[in-house]
Amino acid sequence: MRYVLRRVGQAVVVLFAAFTAAFVLLQAMPGDAVMIRFENPELGLSPEQIAALREAYGVDVPAHRQFLHTLLGFLRGDFGYSVQSGTPVSRMIAEALPGTLLLASLGFVVAVILAVGIAFLSTYPRLSWIRGALRALPSLFVSVPVFWLGILLVQVFSFRLGLVSVIAPGPVEGLILPVLTLAVPISAPLAQILVRSIDEVYTRPFVTVVRSRGAGHHRVLWRDVAGNALLPALTMAGVLFGELIGGAVVTETVFGRAGLGRLTEQAVGNQDVAVLQAVVLLTATVFVLINLCVDLLYPLLDPRLRTKAGAAA
Amino acid sequence: MSHAPIPSRALLLPTAAVLALLTACGSPASSGAGADGEPVQGGSLVYLEYQPHDSLYPPEAGFYPNGGLVNNIADRLVHQDPETLEFEPWIATDWEVDEDATEYTFTLRGDVTFSDGSPLDAEVVAANFDLYGLGDQDRALIVSEAINNYESSEVLDENTVRFHFDAPSPGFLQATSTINSGLLSAETLELAQEGFSPGNATEVIGSGPFVVSDEELGTGLTLTAREDYAWAPESWENQGRPYLDEVRINVTPEDSVRVGALTSGQAHVARYVQAQDEERVEAAGIEILAPQTNGVNNSLSLRFGNEILSDLKVRRALVAGIDRQEVVDTIYTDHYPPATSTLSSTAQGYADQSEYLEYDPERAEELLEEAGWTVGSDGIREKDGERLSLVVNEAAPQPRSFETLTLVGRQLAGIGVDLQILAADAGTYTEAINDPDQVQLYHSMVGRADHDVIKSQYHSRNRNTLLNRDPKGDSVEDERLEELLEAVASTADPEERDEASAEAQRYLSEQAYVIPLFEEPQVYGVAPSVHGIGFESVARPSFQGVWLSE
Repeated sequence: MRYVLRRVGQAVVVLFAAFTAAFVLLQAMPGDAVMIRFENPELGLSPEQIAALREAYGVDVPAHRQFLHTLLGFLRGDFGYSVQSGTPVSRMIAEALPGTLLLASLGFVVAVILAVGIAFLSTYPRLSWIRGALRALPSLFVSVPVFWLGILLVQVFSFRLGLVSVIAPGPVEGLILPVLTLAVPISAPLAQILVRSIDEVYTRPFVTVVRSRGAGHHRVLWRDVAGNALLPALTMAGVLFGELIGGAVVTETVFGRAGLGRLTEQAVGNQDVAVLQAVVLLTATVFVLINLCVDLLYPLLDPRLRTKAGAAA
Repeated sequence: MSHAPIPSRALLLPTAAVLALLTACGSPASSGAGADGEPVQGGSLVYLEYQPHDSLYPPEAGFYPNGGLVNNIADRLVHQDPETLEFEPWIATDWEVDEDATEYTFTLRGDVTFSDGSPLDAEVVAANFDLYGLGDQDRALIVSEAINNYESSEVLDENTVRFHFDAPSPGFLQATSTINSGLLSAETLELAQEGFSPGNATEVIGSGPFVVSDEELGTGLTLTAREDYAWAPESWENQGRPYLDEVRINVTPEDSVRVGALTSGQAHVARYVQAQDEERVEAAGIEILAPQTNGVNNSLSLRFGNEILSDLKVRRALVAGIDRQEVVDTIYTDHYPPATSTLSSTAQGYADQSEYLEYDPERAEELLEEAGWTVGSDGIREKDGERLSLVVNEAAPQPRSFETLTLVGRQLAGIGVDLQILAADAGTYTEAINDPDQVQLYHSMVGRADHDVIKSQYHSRNRNTLLNRDPKGDSVEDERLEELLEAVASTADPEERDEASAEAQRYLSEQAYVIPLFEEPQVYGVAPSVHGIGFESVARPSFQGVWLSE
C-alpha cells in the first residue's frame, strides 16, 4: 500500500513540474497570444487600440502573479479562455478529448493486434518461407509517414473506391481509416520488440526443457513464450502513448476530425498559451497515469517483481 | 507549426506522384445534371471550409471562414452589387448623405425581424453601429476597420436612424454594405468577445436567410434556412426563403481531401481550391469560380524605414527586377490576373500604373550600380561590406505564398539581390513583421470594394504595411503619403475621390513603395448540381439563392 501511495505522490510531483515547466517555456517564447491576435495587421488596429486590449487581457501583469493565478485556476478546474478564439478552454478540451480517446484507444488495440499477428506469424515454422517478408514489415511500417499514409488511404478507399465517406461520415464509418492510419506506425515498434523477445525467449534453456518433454509448437508459444515476451512490450506501451498523440495531430487534420491533436496543432500555430498549458497538463496526466498503471501491473505479471516491491514496502 | 509545415512540404513529392497515378487510372467522378431550370426547393448543401472560424463578431469577419458565416446569417443596411459595385436598398429602403459626408440618415423597411423574433428597428441599428464604430475595449470588441471618423448615432423614429461623424466619412455607405457591418440582435450585441467565439455560434442572432442551428467545435456548423425570410435585396433572384433547407459546413484543412471529396461527389462546394489543383478539379467536371476581391492587390510592401530600402533607386530596382507575368504563369492560373497597380483593376478608384511596373532587369541592375551596390564574389551585390540581402514574410493566408516568394527570390537573385523567406512560429513572426529591420518586404493583400481600402492597407494607424509609422519610434516617416491616404478616406465628392485615390496610387508607384503581384481571387470548386451560388463584393459565398439539382 505504501508503495502505491509513494508512486501516487511521485505522480503529483511530476505533474506540478510539468505544469511549471510548461508555464515557464510558454512565457519565454517570443511574443504572446494577444500580440499575435491583435497586432496582426489584418485587423488594422491603431497602437492605442492595441494598448487598450493588452490592458483588458492583463497580458503585462508580472509573470509570478500570472503563474499563481493560472495555478489556482487549474486547481479549481478553471482553465481560462482561449486567447485566439475566446472559447473556454475546458469546453474545447471536453469536446476534443472523447474523440481522441476513442481514436487513440482503438488505434492502440488495432496496433496490438497487428503487432501480435506479425510477431507470432513470423515465428510459425510453417510460414518460414515468408518469414523474411513478415519481419521486414515493422521496419516498413515505422518508416511510413502518417501524413502520407492517411492521404493514401483516403484517396484509395474513399475517393477512388467510394467505400467510406470522409465528409461527415457515420460514427463507425468515420473511424475506420483514421484508426488504420494511426495503428500502422504504432504497431511497428511493438512488433519489433515482440519478435525480438520471442526469439530471445526461445533460446532460453527452459523452452528446450519443455520441448523435450514433448510440448508442441503451439503450447510452447502460447503458454511459455508469450507470457515472457509480453513484458518488454508492456513497458513500451507507456512510451507509445506519446506516439499516439503525435499521430493524432496528423490523423485528425487529414481526416478533419475534432480532437486533441488538432486542437494542439492549432494552439501551437497561434501560440495560444491558455490552451497549450491545459493540453500539456492533460497529456502529462495521461502519461503519468499510464506509467502508474504499468508499474502497478508489472508485479502482477512477474512474480519476481512482486517480491521486490514487497521488500521495498 | 501552421507557418512552417516543412515535414508536409517534404512529403509533397511522393504524395503527388501517387495521386497522379490514381488519377490516371480512375474515371472522373461527377454528380448530377448541369442543366439550369426551375429552382428546386429543399436539400442540404455540403460546403468544405479550409479553416475553422474564430469569431462571429462582424468587424472580425475579414477572416474568410468568419465572413462566409456572417454573410449568410446577418443582413446589411445597404446591398452592394458585386459586379457593378452599385448600391441598392436592403434593410434600409432609403438613405441620405449630407454634403460633406458627416451625417447619414437611413430609413428602414420596418418589417424585418431577427431570428429570435425581435424587431430590426432604428434602435438596434443604432446600437450595432455604436459598437462597430467605437468598439468596446472592456469586452475586447474591436472597432470595424471599415468605419472611419464615427461619432454617434441618433434614433429619429422607429424606422429612421442618423449617424454623425466628426470628419467626412464618404466610405460609410459602402461600409454599411460590408460583412463587417452585419446587423445583429440587441441581445447579441451585449455579448463580450467570448460570446462571439466558436462554441457559441448558435447564440449569435442575425436577420439573415440562415441561422446557425448546430455547431461542432472546430469541425463544422449547420446553417438552417429561415422559413420567414422575405427581405432579400431586389436584385436577388430568390425573394423568399432560401431554396436549400440547410448548409452543412465542414472544416477540411487538408487540400487534397477537399479536392478529392469534391471530385468524388462527397461535397458540393469547396473553398480555396489551390491553383495547382484547378486543372484536376475541372477535369472531373467541377466548375471553378474565382470571384475577385476588389481591393489592394496581392503585393510586397517595401519598408522604406529600413536603411537599404530608404534608397529610392534600390526600391525602383526591386520593382523593375520582378517579372509578375512569369509569377502568374508559373504559380497560378488565368484566375489570377497580373497586377497593373496597387489596386485591383476591379477596385473602386483604380488607376492604371503599368508604366511604372515594367519588367526590366537591365534597368534594375543599372539602378543598383548607381546606388553603389556592386556584384560580390557570390553574385550578390555588396556595398561597404554589407550584402544586399532582404527578408520577406511567408504570408500563410495568401495562396501559394511560399512558391511565389521562392520564384520572386530567383528573379531578384538575377539582379544580384538575395531574398530570404521568413517562416517562423507565430510569436517570432508577429514581432518580425512589425520591425523594418527584420522584414523588409511584407507580403499581403486586402479585399474591400471601396476607395478606403488603399488607406486601410497603407495608413500608419491602420494596417501600416509599409511601416510608415515605425512601431518602435512611433514617428511617421512619410507625411505626404499620410495626407494622400487621408484625402481618399475623407473626400466627399465621388469624382474627386477617384482622383484622390489615383493620386495615392501614383505616389506609391513613383516612390516604388509597393511591388504589386496579382489580383487575388477566392477560388471555389462548385459541383455541377449546384446552381445560383452568389458572392458578395469581396468573394464571400451567399447561399440564399442556391439550389441543388440531384
